[in-house]
Amino acid sequence: MNTNTGAMIYSVSKITQYIKNIFSNDDILQDAWVLGEISNFKLHSSGHMYFILKDENSQIRCVMFRGNSLHLNFLPRDGLKVKIRGSISVYEKRVEYQLYAREILEAGKGELYLAFEKLKNTLKEEGLFLEKYKKPIPFTRKKFAVITSPTGAAIRDIISISMRRFSNIHIVVVPALVQGINAASDIAYKIDFLNQHFNDIDFIIIGRGGGSIEELWAFNEEILARSIFKSKIPIVSAVGHETDFTISDFAADLRSPTPSAAAEMNIPDKNQLLNNIYTIKDKLKLSIIRNHEKKLEKLKYLNKNLRYLSPENKINQYYQFIDEFIYKSKNTLKNNIKIIEEKIKKDLQRLDALNPWSVIKRGYSVCRKIPGYQIVKKIEDIKIADNFEVIISNGRLLAKVDKKEERQS
Amino acid sequence: MKKEKIDKNVPFEDYLSKLESIVKKLEEGELSLDESVKLYEEGMGISKICLEKLDSTKKKIEELVIKGEDKYLLKPFTMNDKENKSNEF
Repeated sequence: MNTNTGAMIYSVSKITQYIKNIFSNDDILQDAWVLGEISNFKLHSSGHMYFILKDENSQIRCVMFRGNSLHLNFLPRDGLKVKIRGSISVYEKRVEYQLYAREILEAGKGELYLAFEKLKNTLKEEGLFLEKYKKPIPFTRKKFAVITSPTGAAIRDIISISMRRFSNIHIVVVPALVQGINAASDIAYKIDFLNQHFNDIDFIIIGRGGGSIEELWAFNEEILARSIFKSKIPIVSAVGHETDFTISDFAADLRSPTPSAAAEMNIPDKNQLLNNIYTIKDKLKLSIIRNHEKKLEKLKYLNKNLRYLSPENKINQYYQFIDEFIYKSKNTLKNNIKIIEEKIKKDLQRLDALNPWSVIKRGYSVCRKIPGYQIVKKIEDIKIADNFEVIISNGRLLAKVDKKEERQS
Repeated sequence: MKKEKIDKNVPFEDYLSKLESIVKKLEEGELSLDESVKLYEEGMGISKICLEKLDSTKKKIEELVIKGEDKYLLKPFTMNDKENKSNEF
């Protein structure tokens, strides 16, 4: 579309696109460090940060998206002087340019921060932070040393917590500078000194209470890191607050978030230990009693079995068997006798029935020839005039045959 | 009871874990009577050592004063600040 003057006319979108292209083709605008002070800081619930960066004369709108803001180790706030690295581009909706922040450093601390990062990387590459070099902090806590300020909150906290947990512990306090230009070498010297002159120290706590990054700086120095790494005695680093990380923390065998925590973490609770031992003693007693009871039960059982299997038992069984046998035999014998007796009785009765006297008693008589006393059964057995006797129930008659008459059958 | 010798070089936790293994063996209960009595006595001896070990240290808070390259002394430590004038520690 042309105006009557013939000049090019752009839509808002088109011109915005044109401006945007200019920004994105510019090397400086694509990767710049901008120094200023934060104002109107807003942290959106999405994790994105919106704020304005300004100096005496100008201001620029800034945004830092969640993906980048997650890596920040501090929360930006209004009034904070910062250095921001990012790209400057156009926000099309409002046709405004703004700074898309990728990194934010606190200004003024930037130099220290860079030194910290540099030393950290150097020592890391050398292997000073490797897990395999970390010595375990021993469980037996009889004697330990603390290298710190003798007047600070750190030593007070460590002593009071240690006493509470293990009342008869032995603490060696090694006074040292914990801030200022000589602090790092002082602490390092004292670590070396303890290693040379003491062989009964279980571990060393080095540390101090919270403070600014400058105040904590001694614990970020190379001389101290190397002394920590070299120490034969395990070192617990307990510097500042939970959020403060120092090179000492990385080089030490154990990092403790605070001096108090160093005592909490590394001094055992004596009461708990005592309870443990008492519990174990009870278990010992109980298990030996149970073991004995088990054995006793087994013994009782075996005893019972033994009695059951003993020859005495067998003999008794035989006795019983014999007794029963005798009893049975007796019975059988008795029965047999009874049966025989019955039989005899019957036989006797039968015999009785056959007894000639009983027939005679009933009125029959027997004839016997005289002499010879042969029983006359048939008529031929006797002749006329022969003598004979007739036996009757209570005597005999003597007679002579007069006549014989044979009965016709 | 059998007398266990206290070995200063054997750390407390070694005794403790030995004690725990004895209890475990006893609780499994597959031992002869003689063995179990022996283990029991050993265990009671070790538990005594453990208790003694916990009490073997004397409460002491000392301050190291370095006097020179190889010279130092240890003196009782007292907190300097006012809150702790009572010498509670």
